[in-house]
Amino acid sequence: MADRSAATLPRKERLILELLASEGPMYGLQLVERSDGALKRGTVYVTLGRMEAKGLVESQQEAVPHGGIGLPRRIYRPTALGERMLRAWTVFARELAWGR
Amino acid sequence: MPGTTLLRIARLLFNEHLLSVVVEPTIADLQREVADAGSDGRKRLRARWRGYCAFWTLTLVAPFASWASPVSAAGAVAFPGALARLAVSSMAIALLAVIGPVAAAWIGAVAAVGALFAIGIHTWYDRHPSDIPVPAEPQRSSPQINFSSTEIAGNVGGLIFSVGSVFIVAVGLPSTIWFLFAATIAGCFLAWALAAWHRIQPTYGLPENRITLR
Repeated sequence: MADRSAATLPRKERLILELLASEGPMYGLQLVERSDGALKRGTVYVTLGRMEAKGLVESQQEAVPHGGIGLPRRIYRPTALGERMLRAWTVFARELAWGR
Repeated sequence: MPGTTLLRIARLLFNEHLLSVVVEPTIADLQREVADAGSDGRKRLRARWRGYCAFWTLTLVAPFASWASPVSAAGAVAFPGALARLAVSSMAIALLAVIGPVAAAWIGAVAAVGALFAIGIHTWYDRHPSDIPVPAEPQRSSPQINFSSTEIAGNVGGLIFSVGSVFIVAVGLPSTIWFLFAATIAGCFLAWALAAWHRIQPTYGLPENRITLR
């Protein structure tokens, strides 16, 4: 069952969804680099973890090549719910701007 | 391999879910960046520094931010006591990094001496208990620092006190420096006018309001 907090979309979560929707699946570090300082390395995975719990994004561990060393990274992509949420918020923001 | 020790520390602190969702990707980024830096020492150092900063930041942030996920229900923090100690140590390290080693050493020395002094005073009062006079009526006024109630003689000592007080306020609140400067000039004019007026009318006013030159 989806979390009730999924009904809100904080600024950072919206930015992540926008980046993932416009540029395709990305690693956390790529999101940090593309965000022009809006996302930080120390907190991006906390935000992504929360979004995953809400059902807005899904992640998958990259395949480690044979003989590769180090931990595998996680690649993130928006879920159908995440894409719907982003569209809804975009419409909502546009409606608010129109109403001014 | 960079990050191995960090991962070992994280395994003591966080559960499997938080490790796989938050900690391991952060360490994986550190390892990938260090690997991408190649043999360039400066780039490798920079990658390590950024990765370590990210790790310690998430160590401080993760326990507070995990409330929104089911992780909190499952007990995201494996060992809360260790986490609290780690948080305090991280804050101390961050303080060191922000204010620099010299200032940090100075603050540490002052804090240590202050603590020793406090322990000494406490011990002395335990061994030499004294009766503290209790006021007959409970004090109704709130404690405050009121410069206007401080008695100052019209001599060099009074001048030093006044100048020193203004200097302390100016150092503590630099934005008020022009106000203090203007107030000093205005005060000098007011004092000159009052002195001239009292010279003309020496018997007027309450005795305590008379300016006494010693």
